[in-house]
Amino acid sequence: MSKTKESTGKKLSGQVKGYILLILLVLISWGIFKVITPDNFGSPKNLLSYFEASLLAAVGAVGFYFVMVMGMFDFSIGANIMLSAIVGCVFANRFGLGYFGLVAGAIATGALVGLINGTFYVKLRIPSMIVTTGLALIYESVANFIAGGVEQTLPSGLRAFGQMPGNLILAILAFALAYLILNYTKIGTYTYAIGSNEFVAKNMGINVNLYKVLAFIISGAFLGIMAVLTISYGSSMVAVTGMASMSRNFVPTMGCFFGLAFKKYGMPIPAIIIGEFVINIIFFGFIALGAPTAVQDVITGLALLIIVTMTTNVAKGEIVK
Amino acid sequence: MNDLKTGAFNKQFVYNLIRSSLPIIGLITVCIVFNILTHGSMWNSRKLILNQIYVVMISATGVFFIMTMGGLDFSQGSIMGIASIVVCMLSGKNMILAILGGILAGAVIGAFNAFFYVKRKIKSFIVTICTMFLFRGVIKYMASNSPVAANMKVYDYDTTAIKLGITASVLIISFIVFRFTGFGIKLKAIGAGEKATKFAGVRTDRVKFLIYVLSGAITGLAAFVNIVKNGSATANVGSQLETQILIALVLGGMPISGGAKVRFENVIVGSLLYVVLTNGLIMMGLSTQMMQLIQGIIFLIFVAIFADRESLSVIK
Amino acid sequence: MSDIRLEVKKVSKSFGITKALDEVSFNINKGEIHALIGENGSGKSTLTNSLAGIYHKDHGKFILDGKEIDPANQVEANNEGISIIVQELGTLDGLTVAENIFLGHENAFVKMGIKNTKAMNRKANELLKKYGFDRIKASDMIDDYNFEDRKLVEIVKATYFAPKIVVIDETTTALSREGRDELYKHMKRIREEGNTVIFISHDLPEVLTMSDTITVLRDGIYIDTVKSSEIDEDGLKKLMVGREVTGAYYRADYDEEVSSEVVMRVEEVNVPGLISNISFELHKGEILGFGGLSESGMHEIGKACFGASFDRTGRVVLSDGTQINDIPTAISHSIAYTSKDRDNESLVMNQSIRDNICLPSLDKLSNKAHMLSDRKLRNFANEYAKKMSTKMQGVDQFVSNLSGGNKQKVVLARWIGKDSDILLLDSPTRGIDIKVKQDIYQLMDKMRKSGKSIIMISEELAELIGMCDRIIVMKDGSINGELKRSESLDENSLIAKMV
Repeated sequence: MSKTKESTGKKLSGQVKGYILLILLVLISWGIFKVITPDNFGSPKNLLSYFEASLLAAVGAVGFYFVMVMGMFDFSIGANIMLSAIVGCVFANRFGLGYFGLVAGAIATGALVGLINGTFYVKLRIPSMIVTTGLALIYESVANFIAGGVEQTLPSGLRAFGQMPGNLILAILAFALAYLILNYTKIGTYTYAIGSNEFVAKNMGINVNLYKVLAFIISGAFLGIMAVLTISYGSSMVAVTGMASMSRNFVPTMGCFFGLAFKKYGMPIPAIIIGEFVINIIFFGFIALGAPTAVQDVITGLALLIIVTMTTNVAKGEIVK
Repeated sequence: MNDLKTGAFNKQFVYNLIRSSLPIIGLITVCIVFNILTHGSMWNSRKLILNQIYVVMISATGVFFIMTMGGLDFSQGSIMGIASIVVCMLSGKNMILAILGGILAGAVIGAFNAFFYVKRKIKSFIVTICTMFLFRGVIKYMASNSPVAANMKVYDYDTTAIKLGITASVLIISFIVFRFTGFGIKLKAIGAGEKATKFAGVRTDRVKFLIYVLSGAITGLAAFVNIVKNGSATANVGSQLETQILIALVLGGMPISGGAKVRFENVIVGSLLYVVLTNGLIMMGLSTQMMQLIQGIIFLIFVAIFADRESLSVIK
Repeated sequence: MSDIRLEVKKVSKSFGITKALDEVSFNINKGEIHALIGENGSGKSTLTNSLAGIYHKDHGKFILDGKEIDPANQVEANNEGISIIVQELGTLDGLTVAENIFLGHENAFVKMGIKNTKAMNRKANELLKKYGFDRIKASDMIDDYNFEDRKLVEIVKATYFAPKIVVIDETTTALSREGRDELYKHMKRIREEGNTVIFISHDLPEVLTMSDTITVLRDGIYIDTVKSSEIDEDGLKKLMVGREVTGAYYRADYDEEVSSEVVMRVEEVNVPGLISNISFELHKGEILGFGGLSESGMHEIGKACFGASFDRTGRVVLSDGTQINDIPTAISHSIAYTSKDRDNESLVMNQSIRDNICLPSLDKLSNKAHMLSDRKLRNFANEYAKKMSTKMQGVDQFVSNLSGGNKQKVVLARWIGKDSDILLLDSPTRGIDIKVKQDIYQLMDKMRKSGKSIIMISEELAELIGMCDRIIVMKDGSINGELKRSESLDENSLIAKMV
């Protein structure tokens, strides 16, 4: 009987502990830069703009979380965002479909990319990161063909998702949807089940391959939403080649690692949102310090490495490739 | 029952034969086809093509060792970049120092990768995409305003003899070590079953660490060849090298998860096939994005053919 | 006739070239606890796993209440009225208790695609209460519970829908007295409800007290079905082992003096969470046995002596004073280890027999310039594989295609090739057919006589008693007694120290 109380008590404090940890991270990262550059950093207005910027990656990350929890990876995130944004822009602009074209075009493209990723991965039986590396090459070139080598600019009349409150509304809708799928559908349960032990899940009658493909589709669709936010925020998108789109992989991936680390507290989605906020505070902190853009790349790489190092907990003797 | 077994065995045999000969057949076919399509102008520009092979082939050798163990390395381009900058900066002082500096720079980044991969047990592809980005930032910072120029003396070394000599020595030494010492058997065993290899007395963590350092060092040496060719290091130096190497090795028939089916020929055939293919496509007048599309498709086809699925019980 | 619940008809199943089940046929009745026994590798689990949809049989039929069933997975089997509790952990991390109980059966709680978590938790709590497991809460993460509690959750998961047949596969070995009693209670309840329990256990006294009927399998072949009330332990053993192997199966001597020369001394070895305060000595030419329950920590002893344990403290010292703290040192000082987890820890599966045999001997095989020749490697591998009479197409064949017995022969060939003096054999005959077992026992006897020392860790009491000069019994991570070789030694005296 005493164990009951103990375990519910532990659980409650688990979530609280998670939030305390995250808020502490926000305060520390804010505090450090506020002390160093008190003038041009960290006012409430500034913080709001950091938060707005962090919404972009957070939306992609909550979708990508479904793929990561299952233990798979996706190298084509950046290429997907680029392609989806360009298709959305073309739909909205060239075809004159307006907001509907932008949102539907981007999300449908994202989901389609997810479907292709998932299908190739499941059918070819090749590690997901390798399949998605190959496919990223293809997506980049397709985006290039569609864009015709020109920068795609979103008309100023279609940028409601680039500022308050449009971006916040779309992001909240996305978070709510992810929360719903994760906690209130079979997909969520099966996602965790497959991530925990694929063989047992398969024996329980779960169509593992189907749900893996589904995870990629969900991830792709959310990256499509991220694409809408990205092109609305930045107003244009250039189709790059030569795997340069990979640089867009990092920030959503970092948020995902926050989600994985806080999974045990039962709060992955809030962790992703707050995690992305922390990352943005640090980025803008360095900008406020006047660090050159090249240094930002260094920070990005190092930050992901540190986050992964801190959040992964490998069992003794486990083989890591 | 017995017939069935031998039948299955024969099928397996034929399949293995196709697997092992496909890259070579591919190479020959590609050479012939492009020479016909370009009316022989490819053969005429063979020197130019050869010039592009060195860097890819040398650095692919190091990655070959890594992939044999089942690891990956996406930071090769950045290693090349940093090492190239080091070579440029030291080239004014002393050429030997420049070569050693490049090798050392590569080895240090390799050790950095290995630390996180081996000691902190983080998946190699995650570590190396992080370091790829990290060191690319450093390169951009160093070469942002103007390329880092090497001393003019480096052009004295831009002879086929030196470049081919370096490439050939790396390949020959690697081949002998891989094929005729315990080294190759150990690497393949780590790729095929790390735990059992450890229990057979191989210091797997030490081997893994050293291979990442070695691979970095080899790419550092390739950086010298790169600078001899180009004379300076821009912010883009070495970028995409990792993708080129990955595609080259896969085209050479390398199973993506390493292990027992790895052959050293994968490096040579793969690099040649990759360079001939890209040059052929360029000569055909294809656009960059078209080339990338074709590369992506061919990459996926070859990965699918050569993947060693038996050794992957759960494919993530 | 109407009493028959399940007819097993000529069921066969092969894994690669290993025949795990060979045309097995027998019947199981309603309202009985039907035990399935046999040595490791006899096909018990293969049979029940095929019945429960985890494996797919190659040939034959399962006829449940007159209707043929062929479940493709566990959920389909559940829907037919068959459930299974497996030996290993069958619950999944990252899910709540309720989600684990209803995994695959969520549709009862899903309306328009939305899962009613509250209703699911309520239902799960009701069930847990009914089973008397009140301390487990449906909404908690399963990760918060220990092995024992998770097994209780599995009992609920497997039986809440009153299935016609419940398979319980070697679950008891991992449970404490308390957990076992809980399980027994539910087995009896299922029987009273007129349903059937198929019970797999190695513990013969347990089998005799709990079951009504016993079916014996040996090497994938059906041997006999007997009433529990009409047979005793010796009778069962005879059926399990078979009479053709009575002769020179184990070693025959009983009064040979073991040399007093100590070759390895283990002093106060601890491995956190696994073994504590282990000290013993291994003598020259001795076979020292380690017995105990599978979770008693005995399997860690081999790893600890081989320098393969994590966070080990204490000392493992050889006669020359060398301390063994890592695997390469152990191997270079002539220590060999075969793991219980043969496919992951002993053999590089997707690698040739040649490389597997040569791996620890590469230094010995290379010339002064550290060069190896293919021919030398082949000859070496061939010599020792042949010495072990390994059945193979050639040394270039991959070990993944070999049967369990031949895989073990490759492992042993490797260490004989290395000329090891101290052999740490963990479950050397696990999942191996009787013929190869006999070969291994004879090899061990021969090695003993030539002055090599062997530590044999085994869950099979009979082979410990038959082969060892001394048996150390482990319980809860500590040494709980030591028994000398003697003709009068029987399994009960070991079991008494194990539990």
